[in-house]
Amino acid sequence: MQLLLDGFAAALTPVNLMYALIGVTLGTLVGVLPGIGPAMTVALLLPITFTVPPASAFIMFAGIYYGGMYGGSTTSILLNTPGESSSMITALEGNKMARRGRAAQALATAAIGSFVAGTIATALLVVAAPAVVSFAISFGPADYFALAILAFTAVSSVLSRSVVRGLASLGFGLVIGLIGIDQQTGQARLTLGLRQLLDGVDVVIVAVGLFALGEALYVASRLRHAAPEVVPVGRAWMGRSDWGRSWRPWLRGTALGFPFGALPGGGAEIPTFLSYAAEKRLARGVAREEYGKGAIEGVAGPEAANNASAAGTLVPLLTLGLPTSATAAIMLAAFQQYGLQPGPQLFDHNPALVWGMIASLFIGNAMLLVLNLPLAPLWARLLLIPRPYLYAGIVVFAALGVYALKASVVDLVVLFVLGLLGFAMRRFGLPVAPAVIGMILGPMAEIQLRRALAIGAGDVSVLVESWVSVVLLLLSGVALLTPLFRRLWARRAA
Amino acid sequence: MPSADSGKRPRWWRPELGLALVVLGLGVFVVVGTLDVSAAASQLGLGPRFFPMLVGGAMVLIGLFYVADVLRGGRGDPEESEDVDPDAPADWRSVGLVSGVFLGFAAVLDLLGWIISASLLFFGLSVVLGAAHRLRAAGIAVILAVTTYLLFVKGLGVTLPAGVLRGVI
Repeated sequence: MQLLLDGFAAALTPVNLMYALIGVTLGTLVGVLPGIGPAMTVALLLPITFTVPPASAFIMFAGIYYGGMYGGSTTSILLNTPGESSSMITALEGNKMARRGRAAQALATAAIGSFVAGTIATALLVVAAPAVVSFAISFGPADYFALAILAFTAVSSVLSRSVVRGLASLGFGLVIGLIGIDQQTGQARLTLGLRQLLDGVDVVIVAVGLFALGEALYVASRLRHAAPEVVPVGRAWMGRSDWGRSWRPWLRGTALGFPFGALPGGGAEIPTFLSYAAEKRLARGVAREEYGKGAIEGVAGPEAANNASAAGTLVPLLTLGLPTSATAAIMLAAFQQYGLQPGPQLFDHNPALVWGMIASLFIGNAMLLVLNLPLAPLWARLLLIPRPYLYAGIVVFAALGVYALKASVVDLVVLFVLGLLGFAMRRFGLPVAPAVIGMILGPMAEIQLRRALAIGAGDVSVLVESWVSVVLLLLSGVALLTPLFRRLWARRAA
Repeated sequence: MPSADSGKRPRWWRPELGLALVVLGLGVFVVVGTLDVSAAASQLGLGPRFFPMLVGGAMVLIGLFYVADVLRGGRGDPEESEDVDPDAPADWRSVGLVSGVFLGFAAVLDLLGWIISASLLFFGLSVVLGAAHRLRAAGIAVILAVTTYLLFVKGLGVTLPAGVLRGVI
């Protein structure tokens, strides 16, 4: 508790408050704008923040992450098509509410629900993190390797309807992660003889290529030529009955979102869907009649769930160094850029950084509520930016961010190749997140594997010596086989 | 990369097969490409070749399953996005033009400098993507290029090439 108070003291300095404000504003901006998301934004900011002290940088990154979750809901509600994958479910009821003239109430329940969920979930993070740390302190290399395997398999099998496509995406990431000099022996691997590849492919290039350029090419291939239909809206507000109908879904959404965010492969998609389904089942009276035509419960629950999952994601990221979403993976890369390794030791060695960041989440949440309730009409106007300018601008900033790394044209060509890959992955339904996670977690998995096998002097059984690693590896197997079971079940039911 | 259906392809050909074969090929490449990495460096434990072998082997396996899945008629769901019309036929001309504009930008960047190249990049892309007013697109392009240059070079100390405008700005 004292540590958290120290964290607040650190986060409340004017400089850090400014970084938090920049973070949540940028986050809301990229959340509202189609085509870019928090993962890519954090990646683009990596090189620029190199001169900023780590605590301030992470306060800003966390603000972007939370802000992205807020902004996504605005797009889902006001635009007639789903926005970020985490707010896809919100569009179902949210857009129908908006069309019935209840846009203000939909935006209000989303913003207030996000605030409530974000605050409760951050409090849960405060409680859960030290508990996980005290458990994980005894983890050996074999346990960390098993943990990475679980993250790989869970992310690949959950995010896509087809396991093989998820695994293919993961494989792309792992291969990209192999490029460059081997950290332990100094041997060059897969560099094609190019000097520029000796340092490996920078995470900025991978994230920007797969997300920004991939999206721009994909949009170019199938641009919707009709102008987007944005529902006009005034100031976000809601009445007494809306409050009465919203608070229970908020709490249920939080309860679903937090644990799923913390699980490898959980992400925001599953809890938002579960929350939507739960509210549908629990709907009584007016809500039951309205469900499918714009019920406020169907916005309140999923929006709370996706914000709570963002806080949940930070538990494994900070305590174990395990990213469970693309944005978390890039934040992990940011830690590495500062020479920090998230994990139990981080809480010991850098308590000021960790607790400052957690405290800033509470502050950022409050800022987001202020930014989103009265300013909703302003954010909505961003949706009217003509798409040719929007995507041309995204590509210009992508090129800028990548060129700024090393002033190398070779990097721009690598960026283009990765953009083509991102395009192909979108077109054929391969999820992008496993590739980003594989690229960043792959090299760490290799180090832990080699460390574990060195301890065992080449004996492979060290990998299953502790019960922790056995359980984790069994869970990985279950993650891979789940879709198969699901298919068998469906067949039996049919 | 998978190319457009040209109609001359055999009947079992599907664009997605191209991507599946890329996965398979990449697996083979990883295994073959790391054969020359010497393993003598480490006596105890594993050398730098072990993990690539694992990844490469897994990629080959995944590639085989992927090819089999595509041949058996499996399909991924194209990603949904705000500005994408999932039912529209793929517009390969636009994809080619976007690629051309981007690679052209990469080619002339060091020569012409950021301001001119980035202006051309923005203008080219917005026209390809269907900007209605060319003059307005050109105006935005120049403003964007100049402000980013001033902000990042003068403000944040990022290195961007001045090119032919060296000395002017």
